Amino acid sequence: MKWVKRIVMVVAALLILPVLTLLLLGLRSGAGHVRSSVDVQASPGQLWTWIDDGEYVKRWVSWTVEMKPWNPSAGVGATRSAVMRDENNGGAQMVIDGTCTEYTPPKMLAVKLSVPNVFDGLQTYHLTDLGNGRTRLVIEMSYHFDSALARLMEPLITPSARKKMDGDLARLKSLVEGRAELH
Amino acid sequence: MNAHSAPNPPVILRALLLAFSGDAHCELVAGDLHEEFLCLCEQRGQGVGKRWYASQVMRSLPDLVRLRIRSGELTRSLAVLTCIAASLLLLDRLWCFVYSHVPWKDGLDRAAGFLAVNLAVLCIASAISGALARSARAAALLSLACAAGAMAGICASLSAAPAWYIGAALLAATASSLAGYTNTKWRSQ
Repeated sequence: MKWVKRIVMVVAALLILPVLTLLLLGLRSGAGHVRSSVDVQASPGQLWTWIDDGEYVKRWVSWTVEMKPWNPSAGVGATRSAVMRDENNGGAQMVIDGTCTEYTPPKMLAVKLSVPNVFDGLQTYHLTDLGNGRTRLVIEMSYHFDSALARLMEPLITPSARKKMDGDLARLKSLVEGRAELH
Repeated sequence: MNAHSAPNPPVILRALLLAFSGDAHCELVAGDLHEEFLCLCEQRGQGVGKRWYASQVMRSLPDLVRLRIRSGELTRSLAVLTCIAASLLLLDRLWCFVYSHVPWKDGLDRAAGFLAVNLAVLCIASAISGALARSARAAALLSLACAAGAMAGICASLSAAPAWYIGAALLAATASSLAGYTNTKWRSQ
């Protein structure tokens, strides 16, 4: 009986402590916010193509299956959707709907993202000319999850999202500096 | 045949036999088989002896397992194996959920922190399992069950498991289970 009590206490501690930790971490100032940047040896105009044209975006954002073009045409209010392959969900495809809220080539692009019943957020791309043919790209993303469990797990999701974004930006840098072109 | 040149049966097969022959028959079964093995080695050579020993152990294992399940001796080990595998699978599903909520999606490679949590849970579960053992043989069997449960959990997981993680999981499961048993025994003395 003593052992049963001990086991129940250990299991309860294993559940309660992480939940409390996650709840506390969820209250931090940068919750649900991801920021990542990269300096690329290219002009803002050259780099703009890689964030504006869906066919280019597909090449550096991993797990993108399809990136539809802006509808009707690029500009504030235009929409485009990305089809992502979700390996963690049995390879299911997920459609992320995007609506452009700011379009200032080659300086800034802001897109409101939404996946019904999963999350909605805002992603902004800032391009800064550093001179000598170099450009700094800063991507910021704020998101809010619909499900309570996902909101609880946010302190784990955000670092994973940042890591993924860093990987994507490293790929973008390598592609742009390698002067990759679409075939 | 002197003690230095006496042949020994394959260690893994002997360990399997000891693990599954049960508290009551352990020494008897292993001893009889060992005697016959020595005779055969002397008469027909070590190769034939080892092949015979292996075939005897492999043929006996299903019956021994069935007997242990019927007597209830293996029930605890099977329960431990299932619990360890289930806890790793549950954690894998949780990490899949987390990665699935990365807005731009991510692959099956897990950050070291997630794998460390898996190992911590595995250690705690294995230590609890080991603490339930009442004899050294039962503790060895439970540690084997913990390692088998860890392997089953890793194999059934969706996520990619690096080699270091598999090695660490097997080591952690076995060591924690034995540590749990040693701790309980030490406290009871």
